[in-house]
Amino acid sequence: MLEARLEQANILKKVVDAIKDLVQDCNFDCNDSGVALQAMDNSHVALVSMMLKAEAFSPYRCDRNIALGVNLTSLTKVLRAAQNEDVLTMKAEDAPDSLNLVFESSDNDRISEYDLKLMDIDQEHLGIPETEYAATIAMPAAEFKRICTDLAAMSESVTIDASKDGIKFSCNGDIGNGAVTLRSHSNVEKPENNVDIELTEPVALTFSLKYLVNFCKASALSNQVKICLSNEVPLLVEYNLSGSSYLRFYLAPKIGDEE
Amino acid sequence: MARTRSTKAASAANGDQSQPVATKSKYSPPVDSNEPSRVFILPTKATSAARIILLLNPRYSKPTKYLLCPESGLYEFTQIAAPKTTPRSWLIERKPAATEEAEVQAQITNGADLFIATPVDPLFVVLPALTSSTASKSDDGKRLFLTSEDHFDSLSDSASTHFSEVLRCEKTRTLFEARMGAICDTVEAGDEKMFRLNEKKLIEQILLKAKALGSTPLPPSMEDKFVKKVLEAPLSVQKSDVIKTETKEGHDAPSLESVESQSSVSTVDSATTVDSTSSLASAASTAATSVSGDAVEDSVSTAMKASDDVVALQRLKVAFSFICSGHVSPTTATRLEGLLKERNMSGVDFAPLEAYLTELAKLRAEAASARSMADYSGKRHLDDEAEEARAEKKRKLEEEKKRKASASRGVRELKKVNTSGMKKMSDFFKKK
Repeated sequence: MLEARLEQANILKKVVDAIKDLVQDCNFDCNDSGVALQAMDNSHVALVSMMLKAEAFSPYRCDRNIALGVNLTSLTKVLRAAQNEDVLTMKAEDAPDSLNLVFESSDNDRISEYDLKLMDIDQEHLGIPETEYAATIAMPAAEFKRICTDLAAMSESVTIDASKDGIKFSCNGDIGNGAVTLRSHSNVEKPENNVDIELTEPVALTFSLKYLVNFCKASALSNQVKICLSNEVPLLVEYNLSGSSYLRFYLAPKIGDEE
Repeated sequence: MARTRSTKAASAANGDQSQPVATKSKYSPPVDSNEPSRVFILPTKATSAARIILLLNPRYSKPTKYLLCPESGLYEFTQIAAPKTTPRSWLIERKPAATEEAEVQAQITNGADLFIATPVDPLFVVLPALTSSTASKSDDGKRLFLTSEDHFDSLSDSASTHFSEVLRCEKTRTLFEARMGAICDTVEAGDEKMFRLNEKKLIEQILLKAKALGSTPLPPSMEDKFVKKVLEAPLSVQKSDVIKTETKEGHDAPSLESVESQSSVSTVDSATTVDSTSSLASAASTAATSVSGDAVEDSVSTAMKASDDVVALQRLKVAFSFICSGHVSPTTATRLEGLLKERNMSGVDFAPLEAYLTELAKLRAEAASARSMADYSGKRHLDDEAEEARAEKKRKLEEEKKRKASASRGVRELKKVNTSGMKKMSDFFKKK
């Protein structure tokens, strides 16, 4: 059986919030190393991969592998009942038909308990290999979000051009064009504002802005976001959760149809 | 008949017999401003000796005004009134008399009533005396031979009528006696003629009139209601648009009794209205005019069709009961209707009509039951289908709703995103 206790319901709430607009139903795969999630959007051009390591929970107990098939909209409804600071405990049988969620308020002795019906989801798992990316950019999550939303107002897609001069987000839309360029920047006092560019070779790729804006919903999870690009491979947008836990988004680049 | 504009004060018509009734407009009685002018259509045949008199209405035994002309016979008045919903009036203009310049030349009546004098057989007037008066019957109920004087006496009883005065005129007396003779057995007793009612003769006389009336198609409203509708076979059930007509039929019972009752009812109505407005006109049945013409659609196919013989018989029957309803007292009318069916009494064989009507009643019953069954099953069938369709629609709608509810707005939005030129994830990452 599964029993996982999160000190802050916050994390799960934000993770679910970040992916519920990309994926409708997905399996939470629980094993002894933690809770993992991998799902694609309806068009299968984007993939979300989440790993909540066992260390994120205290305590964490999972006797055997359990797949919790969840409708994310439903899960959102239940999680809405939890306060950010509540202690969240997930419990499930070995072959569960429902997921038990308990929210305990630390301030008062309020305990709320919900059972969420589970569903059988037939999902294929893709093996994602470790990739050496040509460009890896670490930047404030808020900054990435701002660039994406600003450019999305002008165009459907953005070209991310990483060169030794910096990283340039440019778009070309019906009403005109725009570009935002970021250079490496380090702020000693506020390391979360650092812009860190690691480049092995220049790379320029075009991506759908709608998807990127969608990924940016995870900005609340982390101060920094890591963007990794390489030709011929999907873009990786990674938000770091506590410890080595992560939330990763992959997006296939747009090829060939430069307007 | 000439249309004249003679006006009569009611008082003149009521009591003063000496005042001649003019058929020409040159004769205009003194104008009484209290009495409104009335418009009459009088027969040209009527001589200047004609009078408006009060006689007992044979149907209702009420004093009613008739026009009596010693030469051309008896006339009853039929009042033709405009419907109350559309008020009309007459503008009556008198020819200016050279002597009376100050006289009012024209006036407007307060209603557009029109009185038409139509000939009526005097035998109807004497009929009540022959049938009902106790004097004409012996103790065992058998009718006795009586002199015309005796018969007329029973009619003259009532002081409100002018019958006795009328009989003083020799010509009129002969007229009445001649008509009486037509329906009576007579015996000569010395120099006097004795009369006894012969019902067979009476029926023959009325049938004669009925045949004259029925030889041509009856007035359209009567023809529709009492001949066509009664003889009409039920319409085929499959046609849905027909059902309404059929229901209508179902409501007026298709038997002849209903025909008679309807006609007599309408007669009473018209009579009362006449009486209430003025007791000038004898109430000839205005049933025909009061019938609303529900024209029956001929285009619809019927299960059986009445032959011309049957139609003629039905017409005759309707005409007979129409005449009876206007001029014969209800009890006598019922008796005559009964006698009409006896062949040896009437001389007319109604068997084909009876057979047709029996057949028709059977068909109608069948059609009615078939229809009710068809209605039932048809409705049920329709209900089921509609129910199913509705359920299916509902189910689909609910599914759609559920599906939508389970997907967040973001997911739905993302479906619209143009993903052209983007490879699938499975192109980059291999399945585990």
